[in-house]
Amino acid sequence: MGEFKVHRVRFFNYVPSGIRCVAYNNQSNRLAVSRTDGTVEVYNLSANYFQEKFPGHESRLQEASVLARRQRLLAGLNGEIMRMFTGINIKYDCEMSWEDPLWSMVGCEDGSVKLFQITPDKIHFERNFDRQKSRILSLSWHPSGTHIAAGSIDYISVFDVKSGSAIHKMIVDRQHMGVSKRKCIVWGVAFLSDGTVISVDSAGKVQFWDSATGTLVKSHLIANADVQSIAVAEQEDSFVVGTAEGTVFHFQLVPVTSNSSEKQWVRTKPFQHHTHDVRTVAHSPTALISGGTDTHLVIRPLMEKVEVKNYDAALRKITFPHRRLISCSKKRQLLLFQFAHHLELWRLGSTVATGTVEAMCLLAVSSDGNWLAASGTSAGVHVYNVKQLKLHCTVPAYNFPVTAMAIAPNTNNLVIAHSDQQVFEYSIPDKQYTDWSRTVQKQGFHHLWLQRDTPITHISFHPKRPMHILLHDAYMFCIIDKSLPLPNDKTLLYNPFPPTNESDVVRRRTAHAFKISKIYKPLLFMDLLDERTLVAVERPLDDIIAQLPPPIKKKKFGT
Amino acid sequence: MVDEENIRVVRCGGSELNFRRAVFSADSKYIFCVSGDFVKVYSTVTEECVHILHGHRNLVTGIQLNPNNHLQLYSSSLDGTIKLWDYIDGILIKTFTVGCKLHALFTVAQAEDSVFAIVNKEKPDIFQLVSVKLPKSSSQEVEAKELSFVLDYINQSPKCIAFGNEGVYVAAVREFYLSVYFFKKKTTSRFTLSSSRNKKHAKNNFTCVACHPTEDCIASGHMDGKIRLWRNFYDDKKYTYTCLHWHHDMVMDLAFSVTGTSLLSGGRESVLVEWRDATEKNKEFLPRLGATIEHISVSPAGDLFCTSHSDNKIIIIHRNLEASAVIQGLVKDRSIFTGLMIDPRTKALVLNGKPGHLQFYSLQSDKQLYNLDIIQQEYINDYGLIQIELTKAAFGCFGNWLATVEQRQEKETELELQMKLWMYNKKTQGFILNTKINMPHEDCITALCFCNAEKSEQPTLVTASKDGYFKVWILTDDSDIYKKAVGWTCDFVGSYHKYQATNCCFSEDGSLLAVSFEEIVTIWDSITWELKCTFCQRAGKIRHLCFGRLTCSKYLLGATENGILCCWNLLSCALEWNAKLNVRVMEPDPNSENIAAISQSSVGSDLFVFKPSEPRPLYIQKGISREEVQWGVFVPRDVPESFTSEAYQWLNRSQFYFLTKSQSLLTFSTKSPEEKLTPTSKQLLAEESLPTTPFYFILGKHRQLQDEKLNETLENELVQLPLTENIPAVSELLHTPAHVLPSAAFLCSIFVNSLLLSKETKSAKEIPEDVDMEEEKESEDSDEENDFIEKVQDTNNTGLGEDIIHQLSKSEEKELRKFRKIDYSWIAAL
Repeated sequence: MGEFKVHRVRFFNYVPSGIRCVAYNNQSNRLAVSRTDGTVEVYNLSANYFQEKFPGHESRLQEASVLARRQRLLAGLNGEIMRMFTGINIKYDCEMSWEDPLWSMVGCEDGSVKLFQITPDKIHFERNFDRQKSRILSLSWHPSGTHIAAGSIDYISVFDVKSGSAIHKMIVDRQHMGVSKRKCIVWGVAFLSDGTVISVDSAGKVQFWDSATGTLVKSHLIANADVQSIAVAEQEDSFVVGTAEGTVFHFQLVPVTSNSSEKQWVRTKPFQHHTHDVRTVAHSPTALISGGTDTHLVIRPLMEKVEVKNYDAALRKITFPHRRLISCSKKRQLLLFQFAHHLELWRLGSTVATGTVEAMCLLAVSSDGNWLAASGTSAGVHVYNVKQLKLHCTVPAYNFPVTAMAIAPNTNNLVIAHSDQQVFEYSIPDKQYTDWSRTVQKQGFHHLWLQRDTPITHISFHPKRPMHILLHDAYMFCIIDKSLPLPNDKTLLYNPFPPTNESDVVRRRTAHAFKISKIYKPLLFMDLLDERTLVAVERPLDDIIAQLPPPIKKKKFGT
Repeated sequence: MVDEENIRVVRCGGSELNFRRAVFSADSKYIFCVSGDFVKVYSTVTEECVHILHGHRNLVTGIQLNPNNHLQLYSSSLDGTIKLWDYIDGILIKTFTVGCKLHALFTVAQAEDSVFAIVNKEKPDIFQLVSVKLPKSSSQEVEAKELSFVLDYINQSPKCIAFGNEGVYVAAVREFYLSVYFFKKKTTSRFTLSSSRNKKHAKNNFTCVACHPTEDCIASGHMDGKIRLWRNFYDDKKYTYTCLHWHHDMVMDLAFSVTGTSLLSGGRESVLVEWRDATEKNKEFLPRLGATIEHISVSPAGDLFCTSHSDNKIIIIHRNLEASAVIQGLVKDRSIFTGLMIDPRTKALVLNGKPGHLQFYSLQSDKQLYNLDIIQQEYINDYGLIQIELTKAAFGCFGNWLATVEQRQEKETELELQMKLWMYNKKTQGFILNTKINMPHEDCITALCFCNAEKSEQPTLVTASKDGYFKVWILTDDSDIYKKAVGWTCDFVGSYHKYQATNCCFSEDGSLLAVSFEEIVTIWDSITWELKCTFCQRAGKIRHLCFGRLTCSKYLLGATENGILCCWNLLSCALEWNAKLNVRVMEPDPNSENIAAISQSSVGSDLFVFKPSEPRPLYIQKGISREEVQWGVFVPRDVPESFTSEAYQWLNRSQFYFLTKSQSLLTFSTKSPEEKLTPTSKQLLAEESLPTTPFYFILGKHRQLQDEKLNETLENELVQLPLTENIPAVSELLHTPAHVLPSAAFLCSIFVNSLLLSKETKSAKEIPEDVDMEEEKESEDSDEENDFIEKVQDTNNTGLGEDIIHQLSKSEEKELRKFRKIDYSWIAAL
C-alpha cells in the first residue's frame, strides 16, 4: 500500500450553526432542519439519513423543499413574512385536513394571532384574532381545525377559529421550585384531538390542560431550566420535550391497569445527548429527533417501534454535512474551504484569499476532460460527452442517492458511492458496470462496512496505481485495492496494515481489498497531493464546542 | 424450690428486629416484627412490647396479616410451618405443616385459601416461589402439603418479590432481570437490563421491587442508586420505564404508600426519600435516621410508615414524615471494643452502640435505654474511611464517673487519642463531659480501671498504654473565680523497664494496683505509688489480670497468651497454683468469690467457674458456643436465686452473660424457655380507651357529661336496666375471642335470659328511687335556675335547710347564693 506523508490540516474553521427548528414529514419520510443562520437542510430518513439538500441561499429554498411540504411553509414564512413583520418571534404552521387551500397561523410579538390562507403561488392575509396583551410564543391547531391554542407569557389562550375569539385563558403558575420567578414563558403548546392542551414553559414544567373547561389536569416538573420544545406523535400516544439543560424527555400514554381503558401520561425515559439547549424536537413514528444550539442533530430510535434490530435501530448524531466542503488543487497545493456564505482559499502553509459566493453541485469530470458525470436528486447519474456536448449514457437507476463520485484518470471508470454505503464502478466507454463491480455486488460488502454511520463524501485515485481507489467518510479513510480478494463476513474488516515483520504468506492470507485507517477523525476531507503526500482536513468537535455559547451549568454529584 | 434442670445456654434478647419488613396491624395500633424464633408485637404509641409470639422452633422468616381477618397474623419459619396467631391475645390458633424450609411469606387478599412462600427444594441456592394451599380444618395442627409452583430461580430475599394490582401479577427481580408472572394468563415476561459487561451499567443489579397498589406500575431499586418505574409490562415490546435517581448508593428497600401517590425509598444514606407522584423533582426527605435503612413498610391504614435500620431499630414515622416512635434493640452493627460492662446505677448492659456512641441496654426489658454520644462528631458513612473508634470505657465510683477512650489511626505514626471523663448529673439523669484529655499517652491505651474501693476518698483512674507507662489520674479541684469545678489531672506516671503496659487492675479494697508489663506483673501501693513486688512466670504476655474478691482477696489471677492461668498469693508473694487453660475471657463475679473463665479450643468454647483459693473448678460446661466468645460479664441479680446444688450455686447472686464473635448475646439458664419468657410477656396491654386527641377532649368530655345526664334521666324515669357490662354472661360473650365461641344458637338463650330482670331485684331498687325523684321534683319547682352543682348540694340538704329556703324571697335567695359562692377558705389560712 505504501506509506504517505500526511498534511494534517486543522485550520478549517468550520462551525455549523445551531439548529432552530426541525420538521418531519411522514409521507415522504423526510426531515427538514432549519438553522439559526437561515439555512434549511433536508434529510432522507429512508436513505440512511442522507442529507439531500444543502445550505444555500434563500432563493433556492422554495425549490429545496418540494417533498417536505410542511417545511416549505416554514421556509416560505421564513422568507416572506419575516420581511412583512419585523420582530416576529414564532413561525408556526399547520396543515389542515383538506389539501388546498392551506391555512397558516402567525403569532406576533404584539400579541395578535393572524390567519393566512396559502395558495400555491401566494399567501393571503385572512383575518386577525382577538388581540392578547403579551406576545405569542407558540401556537397549535386542534387536529380538526376548529380551535387554536396559543402560548404566551404567563398564560395560554384557546381561540375558536370561526369566531376568532378567545374561549379560555389558562394562567400558568409562575412558581419555580418554590420561588416565584418573574415571568413564565410558555415555549410550546400542543393541542391533542381529545381536547387536551400540553404546554411547556420556562419554569421547567410540562402541564396538561383541559381545553373544554380551561383547567389544569396534571403538572410534571421535569427540569430546573426552561422546557423549550414539544412534539407529539401522530398517533398521540407519545410526545417528546426538550429542555435548556440539553435533556430530552419522552412521555407516553400508558394504560393505568392492563384490564382498564383508562390511560395516563407518564414520563418515561430521559435522554441526554445534547450539551446545550434543545431548541426543537420532532417525533417520527420510530424515532425522537432533537436539535439545538450545540448544532448536533440527534435521531434516537424508539426500540419498541423498531421491528428488526438493524442499522436503523442505532442512535444517530449528525454533526457535519454529508458533502465535501473542501476542494484541493494538486498542482498548486491549494485548499478551497466552503462555508455557508463564503469561501476560503488556503495555500498549505499560509493563508491566501477569501471571497466569492458559489453554488455547489455534484459533478465529476474526467481528467482528460472528455467526460462529465452529473447526479441529480433522483439518484440517477447521467454521463455527458463534453466534446460533443451530448448525453453519452445513463447509469442504471439505484434507489439511494449518490453521495460521491469520481472518474478514474486512465480507464475512465466512474466510481459512485451511494448513501446505503454501496460502491459501484461503471465503465463509461463500455457503458456497463465493470467486472470488479459485478463481483463486489455478487459477494456483497462486509456487514461492518454497511453499518458505517456517515456517507462517503470524497473519492479519488492514485495516479500511479490504477488498481487503487481512495475514499473516505467522516470517521475513516479507505484504500480499495481491486487486485486483492474481497473480504467476507468472517474476515476482520478493520485489520490494521499488516506489520512488516510478518512473513509474506501471512500478509497475503490476511490481506484483503479494503485497507482502512481510522487515525483521523472527524475527517472532513482527504486527498492525494502527489504520489507520496496526503492532505487530511480534520475538524475536532471540541473546537466547535469551544466556539459555542456556554451551556447551563449543572451541579454534578461528587464534585 | 426451683426444679433444678440442666444449665442451658440461652439467647437472651438482643435479637434482630431488622431481619424482615415490619408489619402494621390494620388499625396501626400494633407493629409486628420477626425476632429470631419469635414474633414480637409492639405498640406503635408506647413503643412497648405487648406480646412475644413464641412457638416456632427455628428462625421466623416472614409475617403477614391474614387478609381475611385482620386480627390474625400468619408467620412462616425455617422449621417448615406456617402458624396463624391471634395477636391481640397472643394465642396460637393454628399450625400448618408444610414440610420444607420456608424463606419468606406473602399473602394476597384475592387468593383466599392460599398463601405464597419462598422455598428451596433441590439445590441449596435455587429458590422458588410457591403457592401453599391452606386446607380448611378445625383442628389445630393441619398438614398443608399442596404446593403449586409459581416462579423459579428467584432471589431468596422477600424484598425481591412483590405482588401487584390485587394479585393479578407477581414481580420478581434477580441480578439483572425483572420477571413478571401473570396469574390469569399464566405467562411470564422477563425484562433484562444491560449487564456488567458495559462499564456504564456495571451496577445495574436489581436490589428490591415494589408494586403500585392500584396501577400497573412496578418500582425496582438498583445497586447504583437508581429507581426504575416500569409500566406497560404486559407487552414484551412496548414496555417502558422511567428512572428516579437520588441515592448515591444501593437502594435497600422501596414501598408505595397505600394510595400509591408516593413512593418511599431508603438506603445507606440513612435518609427516607418520599417521591410524590413518582416525579423526580417532587421529593421530600426525612434525613439523619442514624443508620442504613434496611426495610420500609407502610401501615394499611396509611397513617404510618416504618423503617428498619441496620443498627437494630425500627422507627415509626408519621405520614407527614415525622418520626414518632423508635423501637431500639441491641445495636449489633459494628465490632465491640469496649467489652461488656454493667452500669452500676441502672444495671444496664453497656457496650459500643451506634458509631461513636455507648449504648445502655436493659437486659430485663430487652430494649435500649439510651445512647450516650461519646465522640460527638458527625458520622460520615463512606466505605474505606477510617473512623474515630471508641475503644475503651469504664465506670467508676458507683456509676458517678465514666471514662472513655477514643482513637483514630490512619497511619502507623499518626495516632489520634483522646480520653474523656464524664460525670453523672443527677438533675439531668445523664453523663456530662467533665474533662477531655488529648493524647493521654503516646501510644494506644490497653486498659483503664477505676479504683472502686468503698472507702477511697479520692476518685482514682489508672490507664495503661503500649508506650510503656501507666498513668494515675486523680480528681482535683478545678475551681476558679467564676465557678466551682472539679477536673482530672495526672498524678503519677509509672513504668517498668520500658515494657508495654498491657493490663491494670485494682484490688477490691483499693490498696494495691496490679499492672502487667508484657510477661511481668507488678504490684504497686496505691497510696505511695511505690513498687511493692513483681511476679514473673515467663509464660507469655499477660492477657487478663484480676484480683480475687471477698475471702479470696489475697489472690491475684493472671491469664497468659500461651494458655497458662496463674494464681499468685499476695501474702506469700508466691505462685499458689497454675493451670493450662487458653483463657479468652476472665471475669470476676462482684458478689462472690467466683471467677468465670472461658477458654477457646478448636472445637468451641468451654466455661470454667472457680474460686481462686482452690484450683478445682466449681463448674465446667463444655461447648457453650461453637464460635469464639469475645466478652463476658457477671450481672448481679435483683432477687437472688437459691440453688442448692453445688454446681449451680455460682448462679445464685449473679448471672453470667457473654457475647460471641457473631454478636449473639447468650446467658446460662436453668428454666425452660416458656418459663423464662413469662415475665417479659406479662406486659401491659395497649390501652383500649380512645387515644387522647384534641378531638377527644372536646367530644369525650361532652360524652361524659352526657352520660352523667343520661344516668340521671335514667334514674328519673325509673327504667332500671342493669348495665350490660355488669351481666356476666354478656361480658363473657363480648370478651371471648370470636373463634373460640360456641355456636350462636347455643348462646342465644343464655344471652336473652341474662337480659331478663329478676323480680326481687326490681322491687328492691324501686322504693328508694321513688323518694329521690320526688325530692328532686320539688327542688326543681322551687328554683328554675338550679345548676348541676347546686342540685347535688340540694339533694344533700336535710329537710330543715329546705324549709329555710322556702321561706326566703327570691332576691334574698340570690344574695344567699352569692355568699355561698364566695370562697372563704382564706379564713382557714389565718
